[in-house]
Amino acid sequence: MVDGIDLDLVPGQFIAVVGPNGAGKSTLLRLLTGELKPTSGQVLIGNRELSSFSADQLARRRAVLAQHTALAFPFTALEVVLLGMTVPGLQAEVGNARQVAFTMLERLGLEQLAGQSYTTLSGGERQRVHMARALCQLECSGTPPDETILLVDEPTSSLDIGHQLIVLDELVRQKRRGRSVFAVLHDLNLAAAYADEMVLLAGGKIVAAGPPSEVIQDERLSLAFGCQVCTNRLPAGGIPFLLPQACAAAEVCAVARKSPATYS
Amino acid sequence: MAIESLSLPHAASASSDRHALGWRLLIAGGLVLVIAALVSVSVGPTGLTLSDLPRALFAAYSGSGAPADVHARLVLLEVRLPRTILAAFVGASLAVAGAMMQGLFRNPLADPGLIGVSSGAALAAVATIALGSSFAGPWVRALGIWALPAAAFFGGFVTTMVLMLIARRHGTTAIATLLLAGIALGAIAGALTGLLAYVTDDRELRDLTLWSMGSLAGASWQKVLAITPFALVLLLMTPRLIRALNGLLLGEAEAFYLGIEVESAKLRIVTLTAAAVGAAVAVAGTIGFVGIVVPHLVRLIAGPDHRIVLPASALLGAILVVVADVAARMIVAPAELPIGIIMAVIGAPVFLHLVIRRGGALSAP
Amino acid sequence: MRRLIAGVAALAIVGAETQITNGWAAEVVDATGHIIKAEDTSRLLSIGGDTTEILYALGFGDQIVAVDTTSQFPPEVSTKRKVGYMRALSTEGVLSTGATLILASAQAGPPEVVKALRASSVPLVLLPDNTGPESLAEKVRLIGRAVGAEAKADELAASLENQLRELANARSRISKPAKAIVVLSVSSGRALVGGRGTTADIMLSLAGATNAAASLNGYKPVSDEALIELAPEAIIAVRRGPDEDTAADIAALPGFKAIGAGDDVPIITMDALYLLGFGPRAPQAASELMAQLYPELPR
Repeated sequence: MVDGIDLDLVPGQFIAVVGPNGAGKSTLLRLLTGELKPTSGQVLIGNRELSSFSADQLARRRAVLAQHTALAFPFTALEVVLLGMTVPGLQAEVGNARQVAFTMLERLGLEQLAGQSYTTLSGGERQRVHMARALCQLECSGTPPDETILLVDEPTSSLDIGHQLIVLDELVRQKRRGRSVFAVLHDLNLAAAYADEMVLLAGGKIVAAGPPSEVIQDERLSLAFGCQVCTNRLPAGGIPFLLPQACAAAEVCAVARKSPATYS
Repeated sequence: MAIESLSLPHAASASSDRHALGWRLLIAGGLVLVIAALVSVSVGPTGLTLSDLPRALFAAYSGSGAPADVHARLVLLEVRLPRTILAAFVGASLAVAGAMMQGLFRNPLADPGLIGVSSGAALAAVATIALGSSFAGPWVRALGIWALPAAAFFGGFVTTMVLMLIARRHGTTAIATLLLAGIALGAIAGALTGLLAYVTDDRELRDLTLWSMGSLAGASWQKVLAITPFALVLLLMTPRLIRALNGLLLGEAEAFYLGIEVESAKLRIVTLTAAAVGAAVAVAGTIGFVGIVVPHLVRLIAGPDHRIVLPASALLGAILVVVADVAARMIVAPAELPIGIIMAVIGAPVFLHLVIRRGGALSAP
Repeated sequence: MRRLIAGVAALAIVGAETQITNGWAAEVVDATGHIIKAEDTSRLLSIGGDTTEILYALGFGDQIVAVDTTSQFPPEVSTKRKVGYMRALSTEGVLSTGATLILASAQAGPPEVVKALRASSVPLVLLPDNTGPESLAEKVRLIGRAVGAEAKADELAASLENQLRELANARSRISKPAKAIVVLSVSSGRALVGGRGTTADIMLSLAGATNAAASLNGYKPVSDEALIELAPEAIIAVRRGPDEDTAADIAALPGFKAIGAGDDVPIITMDALYLLGFGPRAPQAASELMAQLYPELPR
């Protein structure tokens, strides 16, 4: 359940959505993908409502990387990436599509696994394969990058730090090509380091939005997440980061959980 | 878009090999089917072969009444040829229906029999046999030998419609519900079939048993005519589902992200499956294993891309049933084995092997 | 010009093939109303145990080239080729026997195959269904006409009709008809019995018994309870082969035990084709049955 959301996705911008579990981040994402319809309000691309687009028209403008994707059949990694071409009407010649797919795998450090069966890959490798697929979908869609959106749900959840950085670097690269990147991230520090804008969601509402420096603040985050955090800035570049403190003040936690909506 | 042009290194060529293999499989399959069909027309208990074809054609063209010509015409053109065509159709449609079901359920063990289509078709056919001389007498007599096929198809179709009604809520079709409802409907159909079997007298009951073992002995041009519209519909509509089926392999949410209209696709898949299975059951009785075994074998060789799986399954299924039918009519000639038995002999061990290989891993979320 | 030559050639072939050597031909109206022209009786295909028995009785046993699986009498028939079960024939299989005349029981099937065979150049005579004792003579006469043995057939038919009359006489001497039940088979703990409208029913009435299962239509499985209600006074166990011990199978069922099968209620075992085939041995079978049901009856 989300309420009172007013959000703009801008080309060439990387927006990270953060917040506690159950805050509505995934719901918000699914509203943006077109899976869910808002009970009130609108979701627009350009000036058109999302619901007026057909599924394949949407697929040419946005790609989604979900948190979990299951695949029951033994495709190879390259074939999974090529599934990005499933969008009806997409007509790249086979040779070209395979090159694009392979390039995507390369970018995400997976070129060695291209011919390997998907079922033999680790969780982190699978997630990157799906990211490559989403990128392949957009590359082959024929839509100019600055008219496309990449919607990502927790892309780093089962990756080690090295691979997390690979994925986030790729998201930034996509942003630089003009795409609009919207990512749900759980790691606040990474979000602060990579995103241009952050949105803090709690209890279904936006409680903070803006550049990371505005969102990464002690009180805000402590209330939202129900525990004490201590924020600061890195010496180089001034990127904000936070360190969690032990949940000392029990009353603060209780208050934060009961009425998260009391913010300025 | 600026893409560096590179030649695919070794790791990627494994996929290309499978891709190329897929196309080679299709071409080989097509050739083998043609050969199998020629063998089917050429082999039979009367000893007539393709060399008698000119005589048969002469008889057909000139209307000659010479016994030898009539004999050749009857055996080659009226018995073996429609039989071969029906066998190919039954094999192709059952295999394609199986492939589509497996794509829809994201489970390599899914089968059209699972969603109750075969049971519904069987029930309708049983009802026709059982009540044909009493209750439904006038209708059955009016339809003549079309009564059974028409009923079986009708039953399969109605079952699917009921299923869709049960399983559709708020415009979506939950696959788990569909599966369970299919099993339940299958059970109901089975119970009703048993009840009908009780109501009939023994003579009709024996027909039922024979019919449920599958047979192409009653093949005729009339039956070929009956299935032609279905064959055309399947031929035209199934290729359009290839992208949807591929997308659905990733799950319904992902398929939507990839631009597939999921609800419409599911409806079309289920409807086409009902048409394929209903028509096949109508002309040949119940024949098992084709829907499970063939698509699985195809995937093992050429991967799960439906661009290959659907046509290859059709070809391989057709070949399998055509060859099995030749065996059915030659092994105990001049008598015949029910083709369902031959399919079971070939298919059951393969099916068991598949189940064992997959171990505990059954369905995808 | 070429067409003319082809046409003349065709005519010549046709003329040669239909040259009748012995000059005999019969036109028969079979049970379905089709008019069949039978000319060549050298290779006969017989479908139906009763059909085969009648053909042998008329002396045409040697001309039979193939039979169906229900044809099991006389013993010589085991050397003949089998075309399968009579309700599951295959067109090509039948034609491959090279038969020149097909005589088939009313139950031959499937219908599409019968239709295809009618379209072939081999004459097919379908026999009437077993509706009552008169069907027996009907079948004999029809077969006799089709194979050109009318005199012998009339003789046989007359003899059979005689036997039936004797049976009727014997029946009139029965003071109290026994209630009997014919058990066709036992499977998964239930017995399949012959209700009304079956050949079993006809045989029971010929033997002077009443059918305990007359409330059932056709061959039906009965539950133990139903059996007790039917309260047969005698059980006829139908045996399909010499090795089957149907009587023991029946006696083992709880329902049958409850009604005293084997003790108060005698179990009479008879061969399936003999009792239910409704061929030339039918009156004899009925007579035997009558003797077993009414041992004290003077013959």
